[in-house]
Amino acid sequence: MARELVKGNEAIVKGAILAGCRAYYGYPITPASEITETAAYFLPRVGGTFLQAESEIGSINMVYGAASSGQRVMTASSSPGISLKMEGLSYCAGAELPCVVVNINRGGPGLGNIGPEQSDYFQMTKGGGHGSYRLIVLAPNSAQEMCDLTIKAFELADRYRNPAAILTDGFIGQMMEPVEFPEPIEKLPEKPWALDGTKATIDNLISSISLSHDELEAHVTHLAKKYAQVEENEILYEEYRADGADYLAVAFGIVSRVMMTAIDTARARGIKIGLLRPITLWPFPKKRLAWWGDRLKAILVAELSTGQMIEDVKLAVSCKIPVDFYGRWGGNVPASQELVRAIEKLREDHP
Amino acid sequence: MADTPAHVPQLPWVEIAAELCKGCDYCVKSCPPDVLGFSTDINTRGYRFSFYKGDGCTGCGICFYNCPEPSAITVYRKPTDKKAKKVLQ
Repeated sequence: MARELVKGNEAIVKGAILAGCRAYYGYPITPASEITETAAYFLPRVGGTFLQAESEIGSINMVYGAASSGQRVMTASSSPGISLKMEGLSYCAGAELPCVVVNINRGGPGLGNIGPEQSDYFQMTKGGGHGSYRLIVLAPNSAQEMCDLTIKAFELADRYRNPAAILTDGFIGQMMEPVEFPEPIEKLPEKPWALDGTKATIDNLISSISLSHDELEAHVTHLAKKYAQVEENEILYEEYRADGADYLAVAFGIVSRVMMTAIDTARARGIKIGLLRPITLWPFPKKRLAWWGDRLKAILVAELSTGQMIEDVKLAVSCKIPVDFYGRWGGNVPASQELVRAIEKLREDHP
Repeated sequence: MADTPAHVPQLPWVEIAAELCKGCDYCVKSCPPDVLGFSTDINTRGYRFSFYKGDGCTGCGICFYNCPEPSAITVYRKPTDKKAKKVLQ
């Protein structure tokens, strides 16, 4: 369809509208504010609803309400704002409501700063909210993926009746790249469970409460089975120059972009290293990493944090091989030369 | 930065750290004597930034109090200010 030079954050909203999203409830926070601003601009123009709530807590509860009516609805924020939304996301998962939430990860913890980090990996994949739920988490590494994975997030949210999240860093949110926008989605899935405001759906109930212990046990079992299906069917990852590799780097978001450059340099120097880039952070590509665990000398995990995804990598390879770490944080992003040095150290340490 | 005018400091004046500014425009919009501008250049983080147009600052500090980014704005008011003395030398 159209090819445009656009900011990552804006690509999310355009993708959402193409996916049929017509409701956005949000609140500004750097470096995610452009998502709310773009939504404020476009949603009224497509006959949708935009509302800036009084807070992030207000907006996630508005999302709960709009999702109950069957609309495709989303919200966006950054780290501390996402912390505020956690109760609401747990409620959405408990009530089996589809929605999309975007986290443009900034420096933390606390107020932190507006620089990029990947320190919300635990928050998004292990649940910052309470109870037995999971978020389906997608991690774009380009403006194109900001569009495509947002569309995918709506699809997955509807398919599994669960919140889906986009997790990326302030770098990908702010950078501008060309994006090929697809055609708008023609038909949205039917939602017989939703409340459409008419007598026909008056007996539907959207709720996350189960007073009877047996009832809640059954409900959580049902959710667990759903999550098992997601793990079975929806894992996405990308490999770069991994053929015949002795070593593997694992990275997502902006780090994966820098890592590809570092791998090109390392390969030119004769180091057989490739990249595995998880695209779904939950479900995590455990089986693929386990496969690699039987074939590699070592793995290097690079993150903009003090090490979060690395725990999932270690679990996936069952600690069969060494898993080393290189991280930057506080809003700083490694240059490719640093990652090349980390790769060379990996080879030195595990020849 | 191309469109930041060369500044001859004269008390009171306001100094904006272009690299720390995230282009929210609050200071520009809230300045009573309207002495702050918004650049067309971008800083290394990709944000447009605000700047002091050169004169007319009253030292009221409203820009400082509105700015959400700590350390981005410094308002020099008093001749006894050590930093101001240094710059004025």
